[in-house]
Amino acid sequence: MIDRRQFVKRTCLGGFALCLDHWATSPAYGQDLIPPAPPIHVNEPAGIVRSALAMPGLFPGRVIEIDDTRAIVNNRVSQPVIHGMLERALRELTGARGVREAWSKFVEPKDIVGIKINPSGAPACCSSPEIVQEIVAGVHSAGVPLQNIHVYDRYAYEIDVGSYQTLVPLGVRVVGVEERKLDASGYDANIYCEANFFGEWETRSYMASIVSSNLTKIINVPTMKDHSAAGVTGCLKNLGYGTFNNVDRSHRRPFSFTDPLIGVMCSVEPLRSKAVLHIMDGMRMLWHGGPLSQNSKFIFPAGILMVGTDPVAMDTIELEKIEAKRSKEGAPSVWSRDPKSLTNNGEEFYEDSSKNLYYRQPHHIAAAGKLGLGTSDLKLIDHRVLGTGG
Amino acid sequence: MTDNEWPTLLCDNRRSGGQAPQPWRAPQKSLWQASVEGGVRGAPILRDGLLYVTSLAGYLTAIDARNGTVRWRFDAESPIHSTPSFSGGQVFFTSDGGKLHAVDSNSGEKKWVVTAGAESWASPVVSKNTIFFGDASGHMYAVNLADGMVQWKRELGGKVYSSACVAEDRVFVGCGSGEIHCIGSRSGDVLWKTPTGNGIDSSPAIANGTLFVGSLDFFFYAIDTTTGAIRWKYEAELGISSSPAVSGDAVVFGCKAGVLRALNIQNGKLMWAQGLGQAITAPAVISGTTVWLQSGMTYAFNLSDGNLLWRARLGYSLQAAPAVTESAVYLTSMEGDVYALG
Repeated sequence: MIDRRQFVKRTCLGGFALCLDHWATSPAYGQDLIPPAPPIHVNEPAGIVRSALAMPGLFPGRVIEIDDTRAIVNNRVSQPVIHGMLERALRELTGARGVREAWSKFVEPKDIVGIKINPSGAPACCSSPEIVQEIVAGVHSAGVPLQNIHVYDRYAYEIDVGSYQTLVPLGVRVVGVEERKLDASGYDANIYCEANFFGEWETRSYMASIVSSNLTKIINVPTMKDHSAAGVTGCLKNLGYGTFNNVDRSHRRPFSFTDPLIGVMCSVEPLRSKAVLHIMDGMRMLWHGGPLSQNSKFIFPAGILMVGTDPVAMDTIELEKIEAKRSKEGAPSVWSRDPKSLTNNGEEFYEDSSKNLYYRQPHHIAAAGKLGLGTSDLKLIDHRVLGTGG
Repeated sequence: MTDNEWPTLLCDNRRSGGQAPQPWRAPQKSLWQASVEGGVRGAPILRDGLLYVTSLAGYLTAIDARNGTVRWRFDAESPIHSTPSFSGGQVFFTSDGGKLHAVDSNSGEKKWVVTAGAESWASPVVSKNTIFFGDASGHMYAVNLADGMVQWKRELGGKVYSSACVAEDRVFVGCGSGEIHCIGSRSGDVLWKTPTGNGIDSSPAIANGTLFVGSLDFFFYAIDTTTGAIRWKYEAELGISSSPAVSGDAVVFGCKAGVLRALNIQNGKLMWAQGLGQAITAPAVISGTTVWLQSGMTYAFNLSDGNLLWRARLGYSLQAAPAVTESAVYLTSMEGDVYALG
């Protein structure tokens, strides 16, 4: 193993420059096969004062997990059950006596709130509209007008497949940043991460304008999924790769630079300050074939909801759960670097849980922790499991 | 209307998705290919030799159906998701800017515009000189075809992304609250409403006094058009956004689990099913004995047994309903391509 120390420069607008050391935590690939991850240059606005709610947020290291077998039955998510689960989890997270008080710790009436969904596995495994509806109701209860609540993601088509437009309450806008491939009109030309991973012609990834300019708070609603390149897709990946464009270039079979790019993207302001709460939808756990698989044999109706402000801690717990499920099903660990597990055949990958397209990079979670986004040490995570219903 | 016309979404006001019997003939070649600015989410319509295509760049484009030449384009200054409708020498469509536009079909010039309460993706339906459409503010509107005057406006209680259909002075439409509404076309009164278990974005179709519609509650419903009573329902694996097509004894629809089904319209019994492996959100279309569907690829199935007759890979971004005539099949892609196959 080589020491894959990486150095990430941050270049801020207005000529102010800050250099930040970053050590990617992934064990290296064979040195002969691929060089270490290149530097990532970050261009972000100067003078942004980090919010007190910025990741890791108000409750660093705290993860509230609640599960209820009644939450998903016959592949249908029960909104009444979700209602109770979310209320209880939020009260536990915040210590608030009432749910309105809990929501008010994160949003205030003047906010423009974005609910960052994950529709990329739609329709089989995506942010449940029932959970989105409950979040809308909660944000609204804190005084935010429905017209100032936006449900959004990068890909309009995937949002369409999830029917979110139809299912959100009246007044709530649903926004897809990209209506078609290579549509860069919805991105901010001044905020980007720049790196050349594989000799690609476009080396920049730009931040979505809705994040940089329109929203004042973001509530992140990732799903609980395996990811063929990143190991898992949870809070960090849903936020980072769901905010910046041109991210597929970070992985080229069989290699992946999701570590450190995911964490770096989440650290860029104003994203870091605006993402104040993460509600992980574990109604359906996709334990292999992520992020896009529709194969029902890999989708487990886990009925889990996790809530926190620390995306690193939440993804660490998610990773444990995906690992446990894979182990139970006899699938290789997401940490595996066995070349025999690799395939270039997408159909084989989608059918066989022993195969993968990339060497996964679950280390991206710990790397994000090193950027100050949260806690990846299980011993330091305050993981509270609330158990069934209640 | 002749067999070479397709003037509204799914061919007619009943949204039947079908037309006069035609013998099956597999497309042999691309007659022409054109591009419009912006991605296309709506289906093409055809009238008097012109194909009308809307796009997310905000244009309604009129294309010569013989050779793919652009005749004119109209700028709505807002993205357009809806499929246009043709009536009385005018083309009507709604836009994300919350407007219903009327455009002269020959010149491409604006006739009038009506402002709704929110964005509209629903395709307008025209009946007896009145245009009906819904929007994301949860309202249905009836607008006079000649001058754009709003005749009535009715709140439904959920976002309206379902395109309405019309039969016998009644307008039928689903909405985000999960109810299917029957509205008097003249009065705007709700005559009945029938709840389903989740929102509806599928567009209903009518045949033999029965309304057929899919819901995001995973069920496909057959509803009595007079009373709103549910005659039967059929459970799919996932939600249903695809609008049905009806022909003879069969109603055909797809679900998000990627299964295309034909059910008997009388009793809801399964006639056949075909798994396509990709979510189906586009409406099916029936032409004679052939079912056309786009779900990534473009497919043709035998209506009687569901056997695959033909398929073509024209890119992965084909999701809208095709327009099918005796001589050609017209397709649009999310990337802004328009194809004529013959």
